[in-house]
Amino acid sequence: MKTFFPIIVLLAVFSSAFGTQCNVTPVNIPKQWVTMSHGCRSSVRQQIQMEVAASIQYLAMGAFFSRDNVNRPGFAKLFFDASSEERGHALKLIEYLLMRGELTTDVSSLITIRPPERRHWASGVEALEEALKLETEVTKAIKNVIIKCEHDNNSQGHDTNDYHLVDYLTGEFLEEQYKGQRDLAGKASTLKKMMERHSALGEFIFDKKLLGIDI
Amino acid sequence: MNAVYALVGLLAFSAVSAEVCYNEVSMECGQASNSLALPSCNAIYGSFGRQGNVANELQAYANLYLHRSYEYLLSAAYYNNYQTNRDGFHKLFKKLSDESWEKTIDIIKHVTKRGGVMDFSARSTQSTGAKNSTIELQELESLAHALDTQKEIAERAFFIHQEATRNNHKTHDPEIAQYLEEEFIEGQAKTVRDLAGYTADLKQFITANEGKDLSLGLYLFDEYLQKVV
Ligand SMILES: [Fe+2]
Repeated sequence: MKTFFPIIVLLAVFSSAFGTQCNVTPVNIPKQWVTMSHGCRSSVRQQIQMEVAASIQYLAMGAFFSRDNVNRPGFAKLFFDASSEERGHALKLIEYLLMRGELTTDVSSLITIRPPERRHWASGVEALEEALKLETEVTKAIKNVIIKCEHDNNSQGHDTNDYHLVDYLTGEFLEEQYKGQRDLAGKASTLKKMMERHSALGEFIFDKKLLGIDI
Repeated sequence: MNAVYALVGLLAFSAVSAEVCYNEVSMECGQASNSLALPSCNAIYGSFGRQGNVANELQAYANLYLHRSYEYLLSAAYYNNYQTNRDGFHKLFKKLSDESWEKTIDIIKHVTKRGGVMDFSARSTQSTGAKNSTIELQELESLAHALDTQKEIAERAFFIHQEATRNNHKTHDPEIAQYLEEEFIEGQAKTVRDLAGYTADLKQFITANEGKDLSLGLYLFDEYLQKVV
């Protein structure tokens, strides 16, 4: 029985290299329409990984504020929602690459899941400020993708400008970043003012406000 | 003071529903100090977070779902590129990804509901280690992979359930058992059955008519998936 196993493995290796009875032989389609440059493509891929990492960082924040001895369900909801939003951003960028004829290969290496760097926050204010910092870094990274895609050498060595992607990132992604940053900054300010003299009550009331409960 | 806490902790460990939180409140409120520690005033009861590994397994289960969620997302992407161009397979994997993502958040919330602290590095004792699974699979392979991974997820729920039920009196936790039954086990049976059914259909299309139906069979099956997923 043991001798069969290497044969099966060998068969599996061969079958994937030569095509099998189970799949259609790949067809050739003209590729001139696939025009994203190498540097632009890889910076978008990095951006996707960054959005995924942000989604996991927000998961950790949601988990922390859900703890029984922290008990801030409003903050937890805010961060769990932010986490799903980040996953949505990764998805939007993936869909963009697909529209442009990308992701026919190297799909497996696009996303790596790593545990979040931080799991503990001293207060709601600290978490909001960290979220703001995270978003600022994301914004900066998106700008760098834009810069890369505005000027990159294509396969013929010519300087190319990926007008459409630059417009998409500038119009949709940056707009959402700036709105998100403004929202977080406003929340942090309000909370910090409430905390100045009444820290325990301030955070409690703000948390319920985040849940939509007026008390 | 530390010795007192250690004693209180010991009592909390051994006593069943003793008034540990109340006792801490009584003791600490009687002292002139500006802080209340009250370490026993938490959400932990029953066996969760004490002996056994139900708490760790539940955290590992969230991590498993998290990994699968992004893996299915990549499979969905792969089937949406212009060369594979299989909208039905794309939809199937996107749905698996979305469901796994929701479950991830739900389990994290449940860990904290029971007084646990979510550890994103937690691994199950059942974990077979990280496999380098490739995303770029052909149609039947991708269904096989989906079926295998969904079975792993379903069997993991059985395992945690077994730990949580009275089969193991040290970790008996009916709340976790019923959570798994209600939110996971029932739906998982349907997902596994659906995937097995898809595999059975596709298998027949591939071999029928000496393999001459292959390309149309795959096309039609993908159209079918678009309707039913
Ligand atoms: Fe984002």
